[in-house]
Amino acid sequence: MNNMSLLNDSIAQTLDYAAPILFAALGGLISENAGVVNIALEGMMRFAAFFGVWGAFVSGSPWIGLLWGIGIGILLGILHAYITVNWAGNQIVSGVAINVMAMGIVTYLLELIFKTTGYSPPAPYFGAAANKIHLIFLKNIPILGGFADLTIFVWFSLILVVILHFVLYYTVIGLRIRAVGENPRAAETLGVNVSKIKWFSVIFGSIFAAFGGMALSLGTLSSFTNSMAMGKGFIGLAAMIFGKWTPFGALGAAIIFAFAQVLQLLLQSTVSGFAKIIPLGFYLSLPYLLTLGALIGFVGRAIAPAADGIPYKKES
Amino acid sequence: MKDVLKKVIFGRKEKHWWMNILVPLISILLSFILGAILIKATGRDPVVAYKLLFGNSGLFPGPYWKGHFAEMLISSAMFIATGLGFAVAAKGGLFNIGAEGHFIVGGITAAYIGYAEPFASLPKIIHLPFIFICAMLMGGLWAAIAGYLKAKKGIHEVISTIMLNWIALYLIEGWLVIGPMKAAVETGVSGTPYISLSAKLPKIFPGTRLNISIIIIIVVLCLVWYLFYKTTLGYEIRAMGHTLIFGMEAPKASGVNIERRTIQTMFISGAIAALGGVFMVLGVLSQYPPIFSGGYGFDGIAVALIGQNEPIGVFLAGILIGALRTGATSVQLAHVPKTFPSIIEGFAVVFIALQALVRYWLIKLTQLKKSSQVKTEGGAR
Repeated sequence: MNNMSLLNDSIAQTLDYAAPILFAALGGLISENAGVVNIALEGMMRFAAFFGVWGAFVSGSPWIGLLWGIGIGILLGILHAYITVNWAGNQIVSGVAINVMAMGIVTYLLELIFKTTGYSPPAPYFGAAANKIHLIFLKNIPILGGFADLTIFVWFSLILVVILHFVLYYTVIGLRIRAVGENPRAAETLGVNVSKIKWFSVIFGSIFAAFGGMALSLGTLSSFTNSMAMGKGFIGLAAMIFGKWTPFGALGAAIIFAFAQVLQLLLQSTVSGFAKIIPLGFYLSLPYLLTLGALIGFVGRAIAPAADGIPYKKES
Repeated sequence: MKDVLKKVIFGRKEKHWWMNILVPLISILLSFILGAILIKATGRDPVVAYKLLFGNSGLFPGPYWKGHFAEMLISSAMFIATGLGFAVAAKGGLFNIGAEGHFIVGGITAAYIGYAEPFASLPKIIHLPFIFICAMLMGGLWAAIAGYLKAKKGIHEVISTIMLNWIALYLIEGWLVIGPMKAAVETGVSGTPYISLSAKLPKIFPGTRLNISIIIIIVVLCLVWYLFYKTTLGYEIRAMGHTLIFGMEAPKASGVNIERRTIQTMFISGAIAALGGVFMVLGVLSQYPPIFSGGYGFDGIAVALIGQNEPIGVFLAGILIGALRTGATSVQLAHVPKTFPSIIEGFAVVFIALQALVRYWLIKLTQLKKSSQVKTEGGAR
């Protein structure tokens, strides 16, 4: 009995850790499939994590916070798309700019609005028992019991994987997105509006990243802390690559990376002996080592969309 | 005079060469204006804030000028180091965002050789240069991994350097500093032990903390300029950068060993960025703390971008960012949070990213001026 609840708790915890990583990975994925690199995921998550808490704090409802977060995600997406698509600006520079702004502006607003440094006061959030999705009948079944009390963010991240897989591989717009990412010129000659597709992908990518940020501040915690997003955006980027730019791949990668963290917590608290000798740093750097391994080809080669990161200029 | 200036500052002939100066200047100006609007919009007084920011930045004489000036140069030296590291790679068409990782790798190496025993009792004249060589070597090798992966496996350097940054961070802060390199418990020090006296950077400005880091980085800056514009290696690096979009075919065709140059460029880039970490450990902290307040790597990218990847530009941008950071603490007197300078920095990078737009408007403006001149001249006749 005790073992079972430990198993179920670990599964729930893994999913909880995986959700922000998965959202970031899916956000990066849709945008990179259309050929726009987004290393601003981290900054976007930070913005959305803060705005989500701010909205929830002001209105008293986490749903309003969710809307605020989506709003800031859309705004940042517009900025990134305007720079990279309309003016063929360097995608990495634009990403760096958003990350640097996220550091400055969010801390500025945190001190301005909540008069605190480092953390915001608690706001109503989705992780509260009343706002979780309870599936009581699963509670005592091994493995499935892990799905009994999850936040809407976890469920949405899992559903989004399926939706995104369907959209990317079974619909016209998905085909167009992938065509634009592989060969924008060929897509253009076939009548695809390349810049429209890129705008669409970048903005949706930013919204997903925003969900990732809110999964941290409104899902797991109930407040914003200044160390957010704690590199989750970059792990998301790694998960996207490790998952070979596909939604289900990203899901697998996010779960592996999250499990590495949960495993480390478990081992630190329960097991003694050999497993404890392995220092914390190795568990923490595991996602990045695995991703480099995947890129080199140890774990199956990861290949980016062909026109990923290359600004597209329409012939005039 | 114009030609000489052109040669000294840029060493290349372009049609709108003045744009390379004007674009960053306009970007900075616009960011300050936007920053003022932000302060105003949040109900504070921008004039007071800017007065405090610049008054205490060390750029202008004032009551505590000496101390501020020293602090400014200390932090500028680190920004210039990471910025220059980025700029070297960027010249060769490589987007090395691993400065953060090279910085901490350099820092931990400096800390280790600074306190570990066989080295710690060396005389200063040998100890200091030895630390610099080792730290630059380690930083360079850490960056060369990304260069190797790019050259041999075609892995994009942005991805590999991001991964290497986090690997470095976790291996250092999650293992070395809390494990093998931890100071003995009875000393009561958290992080690594303090470095020996012979490892500290000599101070050069009595009454302040200013050390020789700024002089070292200026020498390195000159060396990088020399490398870029006076050596074959530098020429080949620039050739790679210029033909990046065509798959570097032109330099390849004329016999440049692209793979080897890529690795070399990354090595130099990492070695220079590692200097920043050495300055931090030997000049400011005297140890490697449990948690390094980082950010110099990413700010270095901003410095290099604002400085348009030219040594002289990186120097000026580094001084500016260092000055803003120094003045930042006193902005709080105007009830503006001290992270305000990074907002300015972020805005400036946005405009640099939008430089196609800025250039477009500048050219449009000059054309308008020219055509209006022609019109008035025609009218006079």
